[in-house]
Amino acid sequence: MPSDPFKFKQTKEISRKDILLSVAREPESNRLFVGSSDSNVYLIDPAAEKAEPILLDGHSSYVTGIAVAGGFVVSGAYDGKLIWRDRKSLKTERVHKAHDKWIRAVEASPDGKYIASVADDMVCRVWDVASGKMKHELRGHESMTPSHFNSMLYACAFSNDGAHLATGDKVGHIVVWDMSSGKPVKTIESPGMYTWDPRARIHSIGGIRSLAFSPDNSVLAVGGMGKVGNIDHLEGKARLELFDWRAAKSIKVVECDKIKGLITRLAFHPKGDWLVGAGGDSKGGLVFFDAAGTKTLREESVPMHVHKFTATDSMDRLYLAGHNKLSIWELSV
Amino acid sequence: MKAKNNFCGSIEHGITRRAFFSRVGVGSALLGSSGAVHTFAEEGLTQALKASGKRVILLWLAGGASQMETWDPKPGRPTGGPFAAIPTSVPGVHICELMPEMAKRMKDLTIIRSLNSRNADHGGGAVLMMRGRQDEPTVKYPDLGAILAKEHGRADSKVPDYISLYTAGEGRDFSRVSSGFLGARFNPMKLAENMTPPNMKRLDSISDVDHHARADLQEMLNRQFITGRELPATKSHANAYARVHGLMSSEQLFDISKEPENVKKMYGPTLFGQQALMARRMVEAGVPFVRVARAWWDSHGQNFETHQEMVPELDRVMAALMDDLKQRGMQNDVLVVVMGEFGRTPTINSSLGRDHFGSAWSVAMFGGKLKRGVVYGKTDKDGKEVAENQVGAGHVFATILEAAGIPHDKEYHVGARPIPLVNPGIKPIKDILA
Repeated sequence: MPSDPFKFKQTKEISRKDILLSVAREPESNRLFVGSSDSNVYLIDPAAEKAEPILLDGHSSYVTGIAVAGGFVVSGAYDGKLIWRDRKSLKTERVHKAHDKWIRAVEASPDGKYIASVADDMVCRVWDVASGKMKHELRGHESMTPSHFNSMLYACAFSNDGAHLATGDKVGHIVVWDMSSGKPVKTIESPGMYTWDPRARIHSIGGIRSLAFSPDNSVLAVGGMGKVGNIDHLEGKARLELFDWRAAKSIKVVECDKIKGLITRLAFHPKGDWLVGAGGDSKGGLVFFDAAGTKTLREESVPMHVHKFTATDSMDRLYLAGHNKLSIWELSV
Repeated sequence: MKAKNNFCGSIEHGITRRAFFSRVGVGSALLGSSGAVHTFAEEGLTQALKASGKRVILLWLAGGASQMETWDPKPGRPTGGPFAAIPTSVPGVHICELMPEMAKRMKDLTIIRSLNSRNADHGGGAVLMMRGRQDEPTVKYPDLGAILAKEHGRADSKVPDYISLYTAGEGRDFSRVSSGFLGARFNPMKLAENMTPPNMKRLDSISDVDHHARADLQEMLNRQFITGRELPATKSHANAYARVHGLMSSEQLFDISKEPENVKKMYGPTLFGQQALMARRMVEAGVPFVRVARAWWDSHGQNFETHQEMVPELDRVMAALMDDLKQRGMQNDVLVVVMGEFGRTPTINSSLGRDHFGSAWSVAMFGGKLKRGVVYGKTDKDGKEVAENQVGAGHVFATILEAAGIPHDKEYHVGARPIPLVNPGIKPIKDILA
């Protein structure tokens, strides 16, 4: 029987003084590594009565990407550094100055052998987790927007078989890469995610903020925000676009009725029951789309703007990290 | 020879703008053939221009840029945001990492970090910063541009004395540029839709010869008419015609296409860069005040993305202006002021934005009669309050006047009532004046 997104409810809320920008789950313990605006990583046990976080320092700016891979937890930050820590001892094993500009995301391959980091130097680098050596340097995104401003490379995602990696940038350009060769396989455009205002405000907002492959890897889901009138605020509709990426063909665009702002994270249910996204504007939002991604099933307010979320393998529990809060949602049986 | 129609009557001001333009060729379109307004034929003329009143370029950061992401970074603090602070050419002074070019040039820059303008409203803040005070019910004060136009403009000017470029649609009405009680003569020429004034070109159906013949006829008739009728209205009428003809003949001042490629490259490809280059051409030609508005900085959502996009452009444009003015020997004659209507909150909101904030923000300036490499004032560790040397909008206004060669304590008159340029008791910031 498919899981019912209407049976999700928030079961716990942990308040924080900082902004939580990234989160990864330790599979054995369900403890969470969260990346903070105070430049630290914290290890939190959300099940504990009173969660006393363990502080892991080493970065000097917002920690925007965390991945648990193999025996390591790897964090990336706006300082351009990647830090490898041993998951058991929590000792720092390796520090790479991986990028010249802000690291926007760090993702682990499904087998845990590789991590990918994307940054505003517009490069995606794939790293061998065990050795720390760079496997690929993927360059397929323009450094400047068509209006002569710096672009940003916000998101990346591995396919579920680990054969491909997708990267998405500010102006809506997506590249799917072959993981064995490091060559681009397909390029896709999703310009509806990017608003350039040439008249009223002369700057931009938006960009591709999340990517996810469907369980059978045939569909690439892209998350962000639709066109915005007043780009002073995140007031556009949260937007999902689905692609038959091998054909570079857009299948469907869904914009939320209730939730405004960015979809900062997307994940398919492992059995393909649904697709979930989270993000928001000044408020937070959680949205479930149907399996085909053709409509929203449920749009729910959450207590804060969500920067990232992670989930249990069966996706019966969601851990949402965001502005001053960690919010835990569980599927009731 | 003592020139007519100038304010101080000094011998240094003895070259009229009409004479200047006729000699550098604006009126006869020689400007276009040289491709640059800085091609002064005679050293004496250059010196005379330099000795004339200072000129001001105001880079107006409409919507309110963040002091944290520009001049007053607070790295490592909860309010500080994600950007690092970088050292500058002045030991001990750090600015935001988004401004590496200005960091190199800090020794020529002046920063005020302790401005409490007490107004965080777009319209109110814009009026306050442009006029140094709020209007009274019965008195509308002139703004910076109007005062510069009156003090350093020339009655027989062929080019405008006050130009305001505000191309973006957002916030254009908030800024309310105004000559106040000085009257329409000192209102700005507003360029909003294009970089050149509308309807400036001679109609194709009228030949150049006919155009000048008509002007000569108009002038002759006008002279005959005003003989024995020296009324303000008749003078104004004649002046208006003269200025229209002057404008039409100075069309190429608005054309940056003939600037050398290396100069255009310095300013960059964006509209703001192009308008800043045009502003340099204007002040070089003697326009006393040019405002270039760069809108729109109102980053309630995604403040860091917005500043990552816009601050590097500001950094490049400011550096280009500074270098360009210096290369032309104009760094002491032109004051460049960089400010908006307010700053942005230290508190980071839930959209990773910053909101309006007038309590502790920054203004940057260079050139004119300023000391170089100076940082004045200080905010607290989180940037929430001014910690040292608090100043208000009036103090900044008075300082700009002094740095532009205008005594802040000068008085105008509305009828019999004396109106000082700044409110009583308001002084310039002497520590940053040379």
